[in-house]
Amino acid sequence: MADRNNNSELLHVRLVTPDRVLLDSTASAVELPSISGYLEALYGAAPLLSELGAGEVRLHGGATGEQIFFVASGVVEVLPDRVTILAETALRPEEIDVKAAEAELVQSQEMWKQAGDEQQKYDEANTVARVAEEKIASATHRNATR
Amino acid sequence: MPNTLDLRRRIRSVKNTQQITKAMKMVSAAKLRRAQERALQARPYAQMLTAVLESLVRRTDLYNSATGEIVHPLLTEREEKNVLVLVIAGDKGFAGGFNANVGKAAQRFIDERIAAGQNVDLEALGKKAIGFYKRKYPAAVYEHKEELYDNDLAKHIEDVRHRAEPVEVTGEHPTVLMKAIFEDVAEIARSIIRRYEQAEIDSVYIVYNEFKSVLAQRLVVEKLLPIRKLGSPEITAAEEMTEEQKEAIAHAAASSGVTVLEPEDAEIEREAKKFGTADVDYIFDQEPELLFRHLMPRYVIIQIFHAILESVAAEHAARMTATDAATKNAGDLIEKLSLTMNRVRQAAITKEIIEIVSGAAAL
Repeated sequence: MADRNNNSELLHVRLVTPDRVLLDSTASAVELPSISGYLEALYGAAPLLSELGAGEVRLHGGATGEQIFFVASGVVEVLPDRVTILAETALRPEEIDVKAAEAELVQSQEMWKQAGDEQQKYDEANTVARVAEEKIASATHRNATR
Repeated sequence: MPNTLDLRRRIRSVKNTQQITKAMKMVSAAKLRRAQERALQARPYAQMLTAVLESLVRRTDLYNSATGEIVHPLLTEREEKNVLVLVIAGDKGFAGGFNANVGKAAQRFIDERIAAGQNVDLEALGKKAIGFYKRKYPAAVYEHKEELYDNDLAKHIEDVRHRAEPVEVTGEHPTVLMKAIFEDVAEIARSIIRRYEQAEIDSVYIVYNEFKSVLAQRLVVEKLLPIRKLGSPEITAAEEMTEEQKEAIAHAAASSGVTVLEPEDAEIEREAKKFGTADVDYIFDQEPELLFRHLMPRYVIIQIFHAILESVAAEHAARMTATDAATKNAGDLIEKLSLTMNRVRQAAITKEIIEIVSGAAAL
């Protein structure tokens, strides 16, 4: 933990949405939901470009302390000294509308039924379902731990 | 000769109107400031996305070695037979020539395409744009088909388009402009991308008011799909502002405290352009080609999103200018009417004096 508080070894973290730069801060470690699973970036990480999956970005340490954001669909760049996250959706867990997410889940099932024989439509339905599920998980997990 | 009472009444009425236009101007100015701010804040995302895509183009083998073309459905060029055009106008009137100009530019585009023997699909954004085509062109007709395969296990579902006229309205979006929420825009964009990928349409254009700053606005026709070059939109027609318009808007902006010039690139924007472009060997979580493929549609979405944000800002700017001019005209009218009123009053007094004097002389 000692090196986590060392100011010279903090990652510069930015979370950018289509609307604005949502977060511009520092952290000693960042958890990211990449398309193939969660990964954690520390200072000095190897450069990486990845598509973002649905899930939670967690910032540890740094100027603003522990922070959690729900993100979906985007791209992330990890450089040794900075992490930049581009996300179409970025919400704080308490901002998530669980009812709306549940409605999205139902809608995704409807999309699945209507997909017929097109693979692309199934993929779309899957994506919507996954995002909705992660949204609900993120929001309810938050409520449970409180 | 009108009497003083009538004139006084008219002056009062014009004054009331002036107060209303003045209030409208202040409201538009406030909304413009907000819209400008929003358009500005949305820039880093677009720049980053463009930067990473450009970088991916350089890093990966996206070119077909035989033809030298980039292999992606949104980059393939087809002969233009069916053209889709997105028309972005305003939601309300009282904005000078704003809506009419968009309508005219769009109509010119449509007429040209018809003359060239192409079919045109229209997507109208904003209540006024919908109004242009409501009676003029029919809505597109789709037939929903569901067909079971022989094994009864899989179903083929398809919406078949029946084209009856060369120009048809495929979509009306009356509510997107009000809040300009990204998700709503994305939905429209995705439907357009799908139609392009399925070759229902061969190219996509967008008619809107570009808004870089209060003094740098123009009405453009921009080619959205296929994408020729990332980061530099292909403008096929543009109407710059006239000097007169610039003067009018500068006057309106100055009297309501709106910044006129484009702000300098902030540090964040300079850095945004470097996103994904560092001179290192990135580790890719998945194939870079795949990443490129997944990001391309988002580039199109963000282009449309930006066009909407800019058009909204331009609409408020146009309304601010129009109401500023109206306020000024009302002032001129009040001055003129006051002058006439004073003259009429004076004439009445003079007449009375003459009557009294000549009456006294007659005695």
